[in-house]
Amino acid sequence: MSLLQLEGVSKKFGQVVVGEQITFQLEEARAIGIVGPNGAGKTSLFGIISGDIRPDAGTIHFEGNDLLKLNSAQRARAGIGRTYQVPRPFEHMTVFENALVAAQQGARLRSQHSYDLAYDSLERTGLSEFANQPAGSLTLLHRKRLELSRALATSPRVLLLDEIAGGLTDLEVNELTAIIRQLQSDGIAIVWIEHVVRALLNTVDRLICLAAGKIVADGDPQEVLSSAAVRELYLGGKVVGESVQ
Amino acid sequence: MSISPREIGSDLVSIRRTTHSPGITLVVAGAMIGVLTGAPWIFPASFVTVLMNFFILVSMATMWNLMAGYAGMVSIGQQAFVGLGGYATLYFALKGMSPYVAIPFSALTCALIAIPVTYLLFRLRGGYFSIATWVVADTAGIIIGTIALFGGGTGRPVPGFTNFSPTQITNFAYLSCWFVALVVIAGTYLLLRSRLGLVLSSVRDNEISARSSGVKVTSARRTVFIIAAAGCGAAGAVLAIAQPYVQVSNEFNIQWAAEMLFVSMIGGLGTVEGPIIGCVIFFALQQSLQSYGAWYLIIFGSLAVTIAIWQPRGLWGAFRDKFHIELLPVGYWTRSKKQ
Ligand SMILES: Nc1ncnc2c1ncn2[C@@H]1O[C@H](COP(=O)(O)OP(=O)(O)OP(=O)(O)O)[C@@H](O)[C@H]1O
Ligand SMILES: [Mg+2]
Repeated sequence: MSLLQLEGVSKKFGQVVVGEQITFQLEEARAIGIVGPNGAGKTSLFGIISGDIRPDAGTIHFEGNDLLKLNSAQRARAGIGRTYQVPRPFEHMTVFENALVAAQQGARLRSQHSYDLAYDSLERTGLSEFANQPAGSLTLLHRKRLELSRALATSPRVLLLDEIAGGLTDLEVNELTAIIRQLQSDGIAIVWIEHVVRALLNTVDRLICLAAGKIVADGDPQEVLSSAAVRELYLGGKVVGESVQ
Repeated sequence: MSISPREIGSDLVSIRRTTHSPGITLVVAGAMIGVLTGAPWIFPASFVTVLMNFFILVSMATMWNLMAGYAGMVSIGQQAFVGLGGYATLYFALKGMSPYVAIPFSALTCALIAIPVTYLLFRLRGGYFSIATWVVADTAGIIIGTIALFGGGTGRPVPGFTNFSPTQITNFAYLSCWFVALVVIAGTYLLLRSRLGLVLSSVRDNEISARSSGVKVTSARRTVFIIAAAGCGAAGAVLAIAQPYVQVSNEFNIQWAAEMLFVSMIGGLGTVEGPIIGCVIFFALQQSLQSYGAWYLIIFGSLAVTIAIWQPRGLWGAFRDKFHIELLPVGYWTRSKKQ
C-alpha cells in the first residue's frame, strides 16, 4: 500500500484548469520533485492534498484512509506537513512559538516534549539562533526556513515543500538539500515543487512535470527532463541547466 | 514518527514564560488589588461610581478583544449576553437567590445559551457573522421584552437587597463589578498563557497556516465564543446589581458593543493590556469632557478611527512594539541547553 495515493484528481477555478485527472502514488520515505511552468497548478495540488482546496473530482488516500473526509487540521495531525510558497508566518509570535504551535497541535505533544520538538525543528534549519525573535522580523529566506521548521514540527510523514530554494546561493542550496536528504533518511516522504532543478536533482528519485493541471511526464528525473513533452514545454530545451523557469 | 527520537525528552531547550522576573509585577499587582478592593472606603462616592462603570466595561471589552483580537470574530451583538446575564440575575433573584450568588449562575446560563448560538452563527463569515450577532442580540431583547415575569418592555427592579443598608448595597455593587473584572482579566490572562492561548495567537496571525499546522480553528473559536458569552453575562449581572434595575433598552443596548469595540481598538487588539488601557482613556476623556455633553463620544470615535488607520495595533500595541515591554507576558522564552 502506498503512503499517499491520488486517483483522477481534478480541479477548476472557473475556466482555469489547475488539476486534470492527476494520478500518482508516493511510497514511504521517497522523494518526488515537481516542476512545471508558472500557473501549472503545482501549488494548487498541494492545497488539494493539505485540505486548503477541495477538488471537484477524484480520490486521495493517505495510509489507506480517505483524506478528503478530513479537514486541514486533521490532515496535519494525520501526518501531512506543508510549506507555503509565499510564507505565512505567525508574525506577532516568536520564531519558537511558530514551531511550538505545530508541535502542540500538529504533533499533539505537550510541555517539554513539545518544546524539544519545536526547538529541534528550528535547529535543523539553522533558525534556533532566532528562536526568541518575532517571526515578522525575519528576512524572506528565513521565513522560508521557518515554513520548513513549522511543517517539520507537526511531525509529518509526508512533507510538501513549495519552492523553498528560490533565491539561495549555491552553498545554501547544498545545505538545504543536505537537510532534506536527512529528513528523507529519517523516514519522511517528500514532494518538492522547485524551479531550481539542481536542488531537485540532488535529492529526488522521481520527477513529475505538470502543465495546465496535467501530468505530462513522470519518472526518472533525467529522463523526464530530456523527454519531448518537457522540452517542448520549455521551448528549446534550456531545461537541464540551472532552472526551468 | 521519526523526527529525531534522539532528542525527544532529552531536554533540548529550557523555557521561561517571562523575560523579566515576575517579582516586581506581583508586588505592583498585589498593591493595586488591595487599593481597588478598598476603594469604597478610600475614594469619594462619585469616583467609586466611575470605577464601577469602568470595571463593567473592562470586563466586556476584555471578552470582546478575546473574540475579535484573537479569534477573528467581530461581534456587534455581545449586548445579547450582557442582557441575558442581567435578566438571568433578575430571574434567580425573583426565585429567592441572592443577586450576588446569582452572578456565576448568570454567567453559566449565558455560556449554555451560547453553545447552540455558535452552531447558527458559525455558518457565517466576516461581515455576515457580525450582522448576525446583532440580529441575535435584537431577537433576544425582543423575546425577553415579551415575558411578563420580567416586566415586559419597561423592565423591573432586581429584588433581594432588603437585608442590606444603602451603604452596603453600594459597596457590594462596587465589589461585584471589581471582582468580576478581576476574574475576567485574570482568567483571560491564564487562558492566553495556556495551550489554547498559543492556538488563539496563531489564529489571530494567520488562520490558514494555523489550520495546516494542526490547529482546530472552529473548535477554538467555539470555546472563545462561549467564554466571551459567560464573561459578558457576568458583566450584565453586575450591571443589573449596580442599577439595581433591568430594562431591555438598557441591557440589550448596542451601545455596549460599540464601547467594547472602541476601547479595544484604541488600546490595541490582540493583547491583554490593550482593552484595559483603552478603557482608561475612554473614562478619562468622558470625565474631562463631561461638561461638553456628547462631545466625548465624538472625540472618542474620531480617535478610534485615527488609530485604526495609523496604528492598527492600538496604543498599547504600538507602545509594546517600540519598547518591548509586556506587563502580562504570555509568550515563551527559550534558552538552549546545549554546550
Ligand atoms: N483560489 C484560487 N482562485 C482562483 N484561481 C486560482 C486560485 N488559486 C490559484 N488560482 C489560479 O490557478 C492557476 C494555478 O495556480 P498555482 O498557484 O497552482 O500555480 P503554480 O503551478 O504553483 O505556479 P507558480 O509556479 O507560479 O507558483 C493560476 O492561474 C492561478 O491564478
Ligand atoms: Mg506555486
